[in-house]
Amino acid sequence: MSAPLAETLTQLRIGNQKFLVDFYQRSRHLFARWAQRQHRLNAAQAHTLLQDTLLDFYDQVADGRLTILPVDLRDYIYGMAQQRLAAQVPANVPLPAAEASRRQRLLAQFNQLGNDCQQVLTYFYFRGYNFEKMGGKMGFPNATVARRQKTTCLRKLYELLR
Amino acid sequence: MDLRPYFDELERFADGQMAPAEQDAFELRLEQDEALADAHAAFEQFTADLRWAAGHDTLRLRLQALDDRMNERGSALARAEQLSQRRQRLSTLLGALGVVLLLAAGAVAWYLLRPSAARPAHNWEAYYQPDPGPAVTTGLLHSRPLLSEALDQYQSGHYPAALHSLGRVSPTNVGADTLTYLRGLMLLRQGQGNAAQLYLRRVADDGDAGELARRARYHLGMAYWQAKELAPALATLRDVATDSLNPYRASARRAVAAGVLD
Repeated sequence: MSAPLAETLTQLRIGNQKFLVDFYQRSRHLFARWAQRQHRLNAAQAHTLLQDTLLDFYDQVADGRLTILPVDLRDYIYGMAQQRLAAQVPANVPLPAAEASRRQRLLAQFNQLGNDCQQVLTYFYFRGYNFEKMGGKMGFPNATVARRQKTTCLRKLYELLR
Repeated sequence: MDLRPYFDELERFADGQMAPAEQDAFELRLEQDEALADAHAAFEQFTADLRWAAGHDTLRLRLQALDDRMNERGSALARAEQLSQRRQRLSTLLGALGVVLLLAAGAVAWYLLRPSAARPAHNWEAYYQPDPGPAVTTGLLHSRPLLSEALDQYQSGHYPAALHSLGRVSPTNVGADTLTYLRGLMLLRQGQGNAAQLYLRRVADDGDAGELARRARYHLGMAYWQAKELAPALATLRDVATDSLNPYRASARRAVAAGVLD
């Protein structure tokens, strides 16, 4: 966490998730020991819980529900994990939140798309790649093909949502 | 709201694919056409949700991939640890086996080399009962000093010196048979079985029924044995073993009974 805290949140909002991935890598073992002692979870259950908690945290940042990075991030994440367990939220399901229903429906439909479509939409809307770069990544012959492909995938997702 | 009638325009506008004049016209229509403005707002929310969903899914997949990698690494480390422990156990087992084999080899070697009643000795010395000769008394020392010196050296184990001293003793003072017998004894003890036979045979054949001849016969048998002449050794010792008057009868019987001369 060498970057300033405010910058960390900004980076998360624009799609740089390295901060959370690093946190998971650093904390997975200690978190599993804590979960085993406090809640009698086995290692695999603890790892899933930490992943879900970090996804909830990401949602809070992306939604704008969290605007200031907590002073003690470890305590905050452990607290969120405890809330998940207390609320008995099933694994791989996010915490209830504003707009969650609409977004969760879209996420579910997004996962119904083929891998190529998911990749194209992720490159364009999440990574912010232009058509030329996206075409290069996907192996399309030119930017026009990439644009048409993106249009097709976006319409397909919209049709699934209706 | 159904976006399909507006989808193409809204997408091209959002992606910056319109020409400047077309874009200006579209922006003007957005201000005037309420339905288009609502569709634009709905499209923006749709793409914002999509941006979130793509980010959420990307993070989920990255965390899962990292988790899989860490699990694989943990399993590989555990396997390596297990392998190392197994190797350590194997080397300990082999070491213990080596020690056991070494001890077994030592025990077998000890068993084979140990003196045993069950395995009779083949060496003549194991059955030999030495004759120390007459005791060196003060009287003997005064009356026959050279003989006393020779006997003293013989009893001390200095056989060459004893033979030399014996050579200086006159047969008239001691008796020829005694001197011959003693010379045979000394040669036998010195390890010259062949030479000893000449002297001991002379005494043994000479006085057939005498005490000295009986003694000489026993030592002659041992001299044959020492010279590896087993057949005459066995025959001579058998004679001794059957002679109830021979003082070495018991020793001769033991040697014959052992069967090592057969």
